[in-house]
Amino acid sequence: MKVPVSWLREYVPLEMPLEELAERLSVASAEVNALERHGIPDDEGNVGLFRVGRVLEAAKHPNADRLQLCSVDVGDGEPKQIVCGAWNFGAGATVAVALPGAVLPGGLKLEARPLRGTVSHGMILSESELELGPDHSGIIVLPDGEPGTPLADVLPIVESVLDVEPTGNRPDLLSVYGLAREVAALYDLELAPWPGRAVEPAGDEPVEVALDDVDASPRYIGRLFRDVRIGPSPTWLRARLTSAGQRPISNVVDVTNYVMLALGSPLHAFDYDTLAGGRILVRHAQPGERLRTLDGVERTLEPADLLITDGERPIALAAIMGGEETEVTDATRNVLLEAANFEPVGILRSSERLRLRTEGSNRWEKGVDPHLAEHAARLATQLIVELAGARWTGHADVHGELPRPVEVPFRPERADEVMGLEVPADEQLALLRRLGFEDSVVVPTWRLRDVRREIDVVEEVARFQLPEVPFTLPLRREMHGRLTRLQQVQRRVEEAMVGLGFTEVYTPSLVERDERDDALRLPEPISLELAVLRTRLLPSLVQAARRNVDLGADAIALFEVARVYEPRGSDLPDEHVMIAGVCGGGFDRAKGVVEALGVALHLATPYERGEDPLFHPGKTARIPAGVLGELHPTVLDGRWGAFELDLGVLAAESRDPIAFEEVIAFPTVRQDLAFVVPEDVSAGELVDAAREAAGPELHGIRPFDVYRGEQVGAGRKSIAFAVTFQSAERTLSDEDAAALRGRIAEVLAKRFGAELRGG
Amino acid sequence: MDASALQSEALAAISGASTVADLEEARVRYLGRKSELALALRAVRDRETGMTLNGVRDALEAAVADRRTALERAELDRTLTEDSLDVTLPGDDLPVGHLHPTTHIRRIVEDAFLGLGYQIYDDREVEWVEDNFDQLAFPDWHPARSPRDTFFLDGRRVLRTETSPSQIHVMQEQEPPIYMVSIGRVYRRDEITPTRFPIFHQFEGLAVDRNITLADLKGTLLHVMRALFGPDRAVRFRTHFFPFTEPSIEPDVSCPICSGEGCRTCKFSGWIEMGGAGMVDPAVFENVGLDPEEWSGFAFGCGLERSAQLRYGIPEIRPFWESDLRVLTQF
Repeated sequence: MKVPVSWLREYVPLEMPLEELAERLSVASAEVNALERHGIPDDEGNVGLFRVGRVLEAAKHPNADRLQLCSVDVGDGEPKQIVCGAWNFGAGATVAVALPGAVLPGGLKLEARPLRGTVSHGMILSESELELGPDHSGIIVLPDGEPGTPLADVLPIVESVLDVEPTGNRPDLLSVYGLAREVAALYDLELAPWPGRAVEPAGDEPVEVALDDVDASPRYIGRLFRDVRIGPSPTWLRARLTSAGQRPISNVVDVTNYVMLALGSPLHAFDYDTLAGGRILVRHAQPGERLRTLDGVERTLEPADLLITDGERPIALAAIMGGEETEVTDATRNVLLEAANFEPVGILRSSERLRLRTEGSNRWEKGVDPHLAEHAARLATQLIVELAGARWTGHADVHGELPRPVEVPFRPERADEVMGLEVPADEQLALLRRLGFEDSVVVPTWRLRDVRREIDVVEEVARFQLPEVPFTLPLRREMHGRLTRLQQVQRRVEEAMVGLGFTEVYTPSLVERDERDDALRLPEPISLELAVLRTRLLPSLVQAARRNVDLGADAIALFEVARVYEPRGSDLPDEHVMIAGVCGGGFDRAKGVVEALGVALHLATPYERGEDPLFHPGKTARIPAGVLGELHPTVLDGRWGAFELDLGVLAAESRDPIAFEEVIAFPTVRQDLAFVVPEDVSAGELVDAAREAAGPELHGIRPFDVYRGEQVGAGRKSIAFAVTFQSAERTLSDEDAAALRGRIAEVLAKRFGAELRGG
Repeated sequence: MDASALQSEALAAISGASTVADLEEARVRYLGRKSELALALRAVRDRETGMTLNGVRDALEAAVADRRTALERAELDRTLTEDSLDVTLPGDDLPVGHLHPTTHIRRIVEDAFLGLGYQIYDDREVEWVEDNFDQLAFPDWHPARSPRDTFFLDGRRVLRTETSPSQIHVMQEQEPPIYMVSIGRVYRRDEITPTRFPIFHQFEGLAVDRNITLADLKGTLLHVMRALFGPDRAVRFRTHFFPFTEPSIEPDVSCPICSGEGCRTCKFSGWIEMGGAGMVDPAVFENVGLDPEEWSGFAFGCGLERSAQLRYGIPEIRPFWESDLRVLTQF
């Protein structure tokens, strides 16, 4: 909300620098987004060049049909000759004058200069030239005033505006008066009484108001005004609305907006003569009922929507927007003013469904105090009578039970405990009084929705002490901060991957499609690409690799640690933390990386042939934690290694603590053994069998070559192993080694038909 | 024969030898079989002369050995120098990986809180509406409950909108005192723009103990902000509103870019908004069966990407999700 400071000053005396005020409000009350400067440049010399002037003579410019040549008294003794393009005034008018040297809001500097042969010693000003309103068709005609009076004394030509953004619990700060109350509390200043002077009614006409649903519309004040003269508002009012970001329209409409901004309780004015039924009935819409609102849109309504009707047809979408047919126009003679109250939740739902947010609905949806309607009606009545020359001839105030101030038990020492700061009890209570709380404490009606419990009162005290609250840490008797096993494993894996040359990526957990049909799908995604909760991580990595290929990167090696979401019917999905990686290089590369991870995590992993739609059908391996291998060429062009493992399984299999083994001092015996086996026998099977056959004295066995060719015959292959024998008890002799080799050869021959080459 | 004169002369010749060949020549001359010293030793008859001459021989042999070592080393160095290379040429091209900036920030946050004795709590991302909103005392009208702002799977399940459901989970699972930080992905139904992405990461802290105060929250956040943005950072609190904390505040950190002088990043205010925080609302304590008169607590939540943006000066959120190696290899 934009709050013109000159308006705020009407309710509370401001002496402090505005920058400081903005900062303190931001800390204690509501964020001040900006402190804007409106109007002319604010320096002494410049402000002095803007004066009230009286037009002594005005006549057509001798050389230009569209210009007037005026003689204007600006209090300097000698009248000034000024050329003016507007015609909405004549001799005797009191006007706003800028003298040569004056700088206008846009930065334009006036010079005394000839206009069609006549020198103009200044400028007679319009609203828009002073940023007081949108009107540039004519100049400002002021009420009578002494020529030479500084213009700044009668018009806010220098204005500062606070752009305040209260949180949703503080609709009371969506008003100038509410903000003034906050400023008064903050600086211990005196707050002016509620604005608005009671006006005597000029009649006693009946105004019929009925509320169908008092819960939805707890209060409705209707006031009838006769002989209303619709016209433009005076400059001061137009200037305030303009500074507050509202467009002035006509006096009656401007008054409703002005009072809403002043007090925070929105109002509406109907052209009384257009109310066919002549009365007000507030009710819910019938299904499919229609209303053309002020913005010209024909809206179809639902029973959840609340309507103002004239007894026969809808005339406004309650709390949101008036109807087009009953709006106040230049032709309006009689006005029915609505100062009502509406419940927030229903209004919020309607405005959301209709995608229609207005200044009014924005306040109602946060909850407005029904008592404010009375203050709003009084101020609006005063202004309509004063500004539109109207007679107030009828009044109705229909309401259910109105909220009463509520007593909340409050212990000032409790506030101290929460803050970690001692503030004397009388200081706390004085502060609460300035906010409108009565002692012991009684919450004012405009804060009832937000302040219901002791802790809420504590917040009222605390928010004013925030800068004073010291910096401490909790006092603790026991502390233990450490990573869980899974978290340790995750860090180890991340470090290992980085050490292996992989770069970490973060990809969206929502994907376009997933290989599982039952993967969880968002009913209302924001885009097709982010619609399904992935059950696999690897496809996202493949996409990331492809993007880097397209960007011309070489040496691509990417990994990610993230969750996947395995559906479990209507229950929450099973979330696993996965690690997946993609890198150039094919099966060997992927397996090397997974083996290195195994070393880093101290796990012994059995590898088996695997199957997976993303992988090359002949180059896929499976381990208990997941899958690895070479990507299928249709998944990503070229030779790529990839893997996708469940971090939880890795953590479970990882040996912890590490079991230290004594280093064996006896020498090893190294031999290379080659076995010829049928094609379908895997190296892994041979290794397992060899270990079983030789026992612990087989210290190491690693396949290092596979040969196929004439020498071994069709359908067979030769696998060469580097083997080391070692005993923990003695030095092995050549005979020992030969015996071990013999046992291995025997078992492999029996089980796989393996022939030891050269053996 | 004057033994000491001979020793001086020989030592001078040995130390004066500038090549191994010169040294060998000197050795033969003074220590060889036909040298004056060797001949004299052979002719020795009395014990005293023998000891003297032996002493001279030992000294000369030691001098020859030392000189030989020095000359050989000098010669090796000469050879090696000829084998010099251009040290400005690159070394072997080894693969080097990089952690994502979000992980760097995550680690800083984790380590800061581990140091303060907090547990790190990993939590699910698909959440019950109950735990995401109801238990955290979100009123019915709260805009976050609208499907326009939040990804609902159905009426009961939702992609968590903040890490705060972890507060509920940890208080249901553990007895106070509780000190925990929950870190992970959260989801908001925002359109994708340069500065917004519907998925981001938060860290959420919760302390529940006896006599926890707003001052403790202030001190704790100062600690983590300094861990993230350097030891000179200041922290201030601004009043705010959240359903599950009362009083609620927003912490600001003094701008790490301009140190409070005013710049575009902090919109010339000198302060940067860092999330939300406050004292645990008594309603939340009651929801998990804790007595708010006995237990008090604070909670806070901040964004990891936002922290990374500030720490590293990354103007947009997009690069965090684009997997672009040109970006990621900078971290």
